[in-house]
Amino acid sequence: MKTFPFIYNQPKEFLNFLQPKEWADFFLGELNPRFSVTTTKAKVIDIREETADAKTFVLKPNWLWKGFLSGQHVPVTVEIAGRRVTRFYSLSSHPNDKYLQITVKRQKGGLVSNFLNQNTKKGDILEIGEASGEFVLSKELPKELLFLAGGSGITPIHSILRDLQALNYSGKATLLYFVRSVDDIILKSSIDLIEKNNQWLTVHYILSDVPKEGYTSGFLTKEILDQYVPNLKSTSVYVCGPSPMQTKALSLLEGLPVKSELFLLPGQNLTNVKKEGTVDVYLSLSHKTIQVKGERSILDELEEQGIYPQSGCRMGICHTCVCKKQAGAVTDLSNGEKSQLGEENIQICVSRAESNLELEL
Amino acid sequence: MRTISKKLNKEEIEAFGKEVDSLREEVMSKVGKEDADHIRFIYKTYRYTEVLGRGLIHFSFEPISFVAGTLLLSISKIINNMELGHNVLHGQYDWMNDPKFNSRTFEWDIVCNAHQWKFYHNYMHHTYTNVLNKDHDYGYNFTRLTEAQKWKPVHLTQPFTNMFLAMNFQWGIGAHGYRVEYLETPKKLRKKKTLKDYKAVFFKKIEVQMLKDYILFPALAGLNFPKVILGNLLANLIRNLWTYAVIFCGHFTENAESFTTEEIAGETKAQWYLRQLKGSSNLDGSNLFYTMTGHLSHQIEHHMFPDMPAKRYREVAPRLKEICAKYGQHYNTGSFVKQFGSVWKRIIAYSFPDHIANKVMGKRKKYLEPSIVLSQPSFQVSLPTEEKSVSLT
Repeated sequence: MKTFPFIYNQPKEFLNFLQPKEWADFFLGELNPRFSVTTTKAKVIDIREETADAKTFVLKPNWLWKGFLSGQHVPVTVEIAGRRVTRFYSLSSHPNDKYLQITVKRQKGGLVSNFLNQNTKKGDILEIGEASGEFVLSKELPKELLFLAGGSGITPIHSILRDLQALNYSGKATLLYFVRSVDDIILKSSIDLIEKNNQWLTVHYILSDVPKEGYTSGFLTKEILDQYVPNLKSTSVYVCGPSPMQTKALSLLEGLPVKSELFLLPGQNLTNVKKEGTVDVYLSLSHKTIQVKGERSILDELEEQGIYPQSGCRMGICHTCVCKKQAGAVTDLSNGEKSQLGEENIQICVSRAESNLELEL
Repeated sequence: MRTISKKLNKEEIEAFGKEVDSLREEVMSKVGKEDADHIRFIYKTYRYTEVLGRGLIHFSFEPISFVAGTLLLSISKIINNMELGHNVLHGQYDWMNDPKFNSRTFEWDIVCNAHQWKFYHNYMHHTYTNVLNKDHDYGYNFTRLTEAQKWKPVHLTQPFTNMFLAMNFQWGIGAHGYRVEYLETPKKLRKKKTLKDYKAVFFKKIEVQMLKDYILFPALAGLNFPKVILGNLLANLIRNLWTYAVIFCGHFTENAESFTTEEIAGETKAQWYLRQLKGSSNLDGSNLFYTMTGHLSHQIEHHMFPDMPAKRYREVAPRLKEICAKYGQHYNTGSFVKQFGSVWKRIIAYSFPDHIANKVMGKRKKYLEPSIVLSQPSFQVSLPTEEKSVSLT
C-alpha cells in the first residue's frame, strides 16, 4: 500500500489520469484559440512584406510566453494538410517590444517557410515554444563587434542590434550583410534607422548576384573583410547565414571569438550516402520489423513506410523525436559520429541506421 | 474450415492482393486535413457529451434529466472507446504528429490499459485474425464457435457466460489483456516479468477508473451521490453492451471463418488479406451508426487496413466489394439485427456437441459464382471442374 486510499497509484498519477490540463486546454481553446495552459500560442496580428519572398509576422503570444534574449530562436508549429510541422525561426524583434516578430524568407522546397508566406493570414494562430539558443550577446559587451549576415540570417542580428541600441553600446560595430540583390535586403528600413541614430554602427550591404551602383558586389572573401574591417584582432564576430558562407567565414576568422548559428533545412545535413541492401529495424512497442536502407535519417525512412513517430524540428534541436535505442549502432548526421552499440537515447531525425536496430517505438 | 468463397489458386490470390494494395495506396494518398478535422470533431463531441452528461446527472432532481445525462455519458464513453480510442490506438492518426491523437500517448476511459490492449489487439489479434490458439480474441478463451474447438460440457454454459460478458465487457477486455501478454511472452523472458507484474498494470488502470466513476464524481455531488453512482454504473453498462454487440459481430457471425496455425504457415501478404476478408464481417447502417461503432461496422476494411483513418472505410467498402465479387469471394455483410442474431445462433449452437451444432448451423451455401465475368483468361483456366463437383457434394 502506497498512500491511502491509493493502492497502486500515487495521488499524482491519479490526478494526471484525470487529464486536468487537457480539459482546461480544450475549454480555453473553445473560448479563444490563443488560450492554453500547456502550449504557448500566438496570434498573428500583423504581416509586413519585407521583400518579394520574405514576410515579417507580428505575434501576440499568450500568458505562457516567458520572454527571450536577442538572437534566440523559437519553434513555430503550423498545421499543413492536417499534419503538425515544426521549424525554428529567430526572433527579429527586441525583448522590450510589446509584440514578438519573426521574419521568414521562402526557402526553395521549404515546407513551412513557403506555407507561412503563402497561407498565413492576420488572425491566425501559430503554436510557438520556448525561446532558446546561444547566439546571444555576452554579459560583458566587447569593444568591437563584427556581424556577418547572409540572406535571412539577418533576423537574429537585427534583434541583437536593437539590443545594443537599448543598452547604449559605446564600442564599434560593423555589419556586413550579404544578399543577392538590393531587392532582397530584409528589414532594410529598420537597419538603416538604427544606423542613422547610432554612431557606433556601420552597415555595408554587399550584393552577391545582381550588382547595383553604389553597392559593393561579391561574396565573403579576405579582400572584402580587409576592406571593411581592417583591424580584426580584438573583434567579436557573429555569423549567421547559409552554410557555404559560414564555412568560409569560419576559415577566414580562425583564432577570433566567433559565434555562429546555422539553420539547416531538414534533410540538408545529409551527406550523400549510398548503401547496398537494407538493415532491419525492430520497433519494440508496436511489434513491427521493417527494412530501411540506412541512407537517410531513421525518421525519414520510417515515414516513407507509413510509420509516423512524433517529431518536431527535424534538425536535432527540439528533441521531440527522442527515443530509446535498445540495440544497434547509428550515425549522428549532425556531426558524423558513430554511436555505441548499446542502450541509449537517440534523436531519430538526425540519426542514420548503421546496423540492425531495436528501437522503443 | 468450410468456405462459401471460391477457392483461388496462387496467381489469383496474388492478383487479388495486388488490387487490394493499389486500393489502399490510392485512398491513403488522400489522407489529410479532412481526416484531421474529423477526429478533432469526434474529440470535441466526446468532451462536450461527457461534460453535459455528468452535469445533468449531478444536478438532476427529476428522472428526465437524469436519464438524459446517463445517455449522454454513455454516448461519450462509446465515442471515447470506439471512434476515438480504438482508431487512435491503431495509429490511424499518428501522421498528424499531435500528441492528443497519437497511439503512443493516448489512454482511454475503460478499465483496460491501452498499452496491454495494443499488444493483444493490434499485434496478436490483427496479425493472427481468427487463427485458433493464436488469436486470443477468438471466443475470448471460453466461447466455442467452431467444430475445430473440442466440445466440453462446460460449453453448455456459454450462452449465459456470454450474457455475463456482454454486461461486463470492459472487465473481460481488461482481464484478457494481461493474461494474453503473459501467455505470449516467451518462457525465457518470463523470469523478468511475472504474471503479477502484468496484472499490476491492469489493476492500476482499474483503480483510477473506479476512483473516478464511483468515488470522485459521486463525492463532488454531495448528498446526491447515490444518483451519480447509479448514473455511472448505467453508462458503463450501456457502453459495455454496445461494444460487445459490435465487436462480436466483427468475427463471429455465421459465415466468418476460422483458421489453424498450419494453414497460415508461410502466408503471403495477399493471403493475409484474403484471411482478413474471410474472417471478418460487416454491418450495414447509417453514417451515425458507423461513427458510433467506431467504424467497426466496416470490420473487413478495418482488418485489411487497420492504420487507415476509419472514416475512409466508407469509401473503400463499395470498391472492395467489387474486387471481392470479381474474385468470387464472399463479402460478409448484413444488418445489425441479422448479424447479431447469427452470432447468437452460433454461440448457442456450438454450446452443444458437434452433431447438434451442425444440425443447428445447417450446411453452408457453397461458394458463390463470380458475379462479374473475369476479364483475365487465366482465371477461366483456373476453374477446374472437379473443384466445382467437390463443392457440390
